[in-house]
Amino acid sequence: MPTLGTYKLQVQEKLLQVARLVNKCFKTQMPNIKLQSSDGETFEVDVEIAKCSVTIKTMLEDLGMDDEEEEVVPLPNVNSAILRKVIQWATYHKDDPPPPEDDENKEKRTDDISSWDADFLKVDQGTLFELILAANYLDIKGLLDVTCKTVANMIKGKAPEEIRKTFNIKNDFTASEEEQVRKENEWCEEK
Amino acid sequence: MDVSPDVWGQLALEASQVYLTDGTAAKSPFAGTTIEKLPDKVLLHIFSYLTHKEICRMARVCKRWRLIAYDTRLWKNVSLRPEISGLHVGSLESLLALISIRFGPSLRYIELPIELITHTVLHELANKCPNLTHMLLDFSTAMQLHDFSELQAFPTKLRYLCICLSEVIFMEGFMRKIYNFINGLEILHLIGTYEKVEEEEEEIYEVINVHKLKSATPNLRVINLYGINFVDDSHIDAFSSNCIQLECLAVNFCNKVTGSTLKTLFQRSRRLKCLLMNGTNLQSEYLMQVEWEKCALQELDITATDLNTESLQDMLTRLPGLRFLSAGQLNGLNDSVLKTWMEAGNPRNLVALDLDSSDNLTEEAIYKFLCKHGHQLWGLGLSGMTHITDSLWQTVLPILTNAKILVMGTQERLGINILVDQLMDSIARNCLNLERIELRWDPDNLRFSDKSQKAIDTLRVKCLKLRCLCLSDGRYYEVVKANFERADRMTVVRTLTNCRVSNYYLLSNYKDLIFN
Repeated sequence: MPTLGTYKLQVQEKLLQVARLVNKCFKTQMPNIKLQSSDGETFEVDVEIAKCSVTIKTMLEDLGMDDEEEEVVPLPNVNSAILRKVIQWATYHKDDPPPPEDDENKEKRTDDISSWDADFLKVDQGTLFELILAANYLDIKGLLDVTCKTVANMIKGKAPEEIRKTFNIKNDFTASEEEQVRKENEWCEEK
Repeated sequence: MDVSPDVWGQLALEASQVYLTDGTAAKSPFAGTTIEKLPDKVLLHIFSYLTHKEICRMARVCKRWRLIAYDTRLWKNVSLRPEISGLHVGSLESLLALISIRFGPSLRYIELPIELITHTVLHELANKCPNLTHMLLDFSTAMQLHDFSELQAFPTKLRYLCICLSEVIFMEGFMRKIYNFINGLEILHLIGTYEKVEEEEEEIYEVINVHKLKSATPNLRVINLYGINFVDDSHIDAFSSNCIQLECLAVNFCNKVTGSTLKTLFQRSRRLKCLLMNGTNLQSEYLMQVEWEKCALQELDITATDLNTESLQDMLTRLPGLRFLSAGQLNGLNDSVLKTWMEAGNPRNLVALDLDSSDNLTEEAIYKFLCKHGHQLWGLGLSGMTHITDSLWQTVLPILTNAKILVMGTQERLGINILVDQLMDSIARNCLNLERIELRWDPDNLRFSDKSQKAIDTLRVKCLKLRCLCLSDGRYYEVVKANFERADRMTVVRTLTNCRVSNYYLLSNYKDLIFN
């Protein structure tokens, strides 16, 4: 049987929980911030979601932007179509645990892209690279990792010529340079 | 799931072609953004997901990619053993070029096969790779040692050295040249040929001189002698006489070890906290001479030895601080051992216990033990015993609330069936910290119903830290695997042939003990 003391404690705990919940409700409603894309469109986003970008997070901290003021964060390097996608990605992943630290000794795998992300990244190459640039500029590790993995998967198993064709890369080696670089790397080809 | 890389490439290609072929050509607003717009840092990040072999191929795409492919940051850990998924380097000249151009100061770990271990290669590594701290030298396939009379230099900052021995090649010609350079070693692995041993009796050669080696390596913290047929008690004695820092000694599968020098080992190596002696020829009377009550030992593996009941009782009642015990395949381990151990109060610090195939233990004795100590366990293995079924697990799971690792089941066919749905459900509700689990039962003994999806769902949702679930290949495995894959947890469910779960992950020196 719980004593009166433990009962009191339980009540107090419950009350605290309720208080926290109420607080949270207000918070999720209150602090939206506005992000402005390079082409002038503004997006209202939950602060917590926006903060998955380390760039925005530090900007907010450095500028001391508080919940009170209606500030607009300019993002001159990201255009509205891409910013919309980035926000869509960040909203879906807002409750994810923080990505694990890179373990250098561990072989990095690329077969662990979730199906939501795989669907999300079924875009043309231009959009994919724009997303990478945005993830890099905004410093969103999770998005950068998954987009880079996607490109790595496009590279895997292809010969140099196929790579050039896939990504529209110009072969800027002269014939003799090409022979040279082939030699530099022939040691690691299958015997 | 293994999506072939081609599929991904194909998908992206098709996606980009959609824009190009649907009439209003180049509809994508970003058609101008090509891979060439990505900064070097990002390309480097992309390349870091490729194997070294692939990185080499990418060097041939264009000048910029070549520069990135040669970036030394991509070449920190390099394996050159092709049979163990490493790169194949055909000639010494290419390796020498690689060391100076591509590896340089970034290189921290390298694996070399016998044909590449020459004095010129080692000189180059010593000169060009000042940050090389981990090295593996594989002599296991050697027919003959190179001539090392001209060896003058060797990497001096090594903390970790692993030498895979051959059965017949004497190492001294090489070793005496490197003794002067390896004083800083903290972790030493000598790997024998245990796994290759055939039935017929062959002559045993002492291919490496442990007595000289120990004098050169006074700072060893971790020594792993694995499956070496000539290693005996005198070698343990030799290391203990010089390595005052020793905290972890493993002699698994060195079947000449009897334990006759363990007493002096513990007298000298006061810091020794981990001793692994799986599959050795331990003699009970030697173990009884050890002053267990005075030692700092926390982790002990005596699996598959012939220790008798008396010596086990004696040791466990005198050892005060044991945290990890692997005591599988041990006929001497019976109910009275568990009982006296418990009565002495010595399992009070225990966090990991493996009793695999210890058939002389009854279900009741294990149950009593777990009632008292189950709540403190992070790892528990009760596999390989036909009389331990889901009924015991069902009663003890509510106690095992801290479990991270569980190993259950036996591959022998049973007369009864395991109700796996209820078992999974119970695991999910009790063991929220679970990281690894193995269910070894034969697939034909696992009974599950159409409700099994619900039980697996519960497990998947509750045990978020679960990263490895091993099952025998069969219908139930397929069901569980499909369930986890639908939830995008691709790599969790594995078959017993690919993966085994053990408490070894819980050893404090686990990372230092890894070798291959």
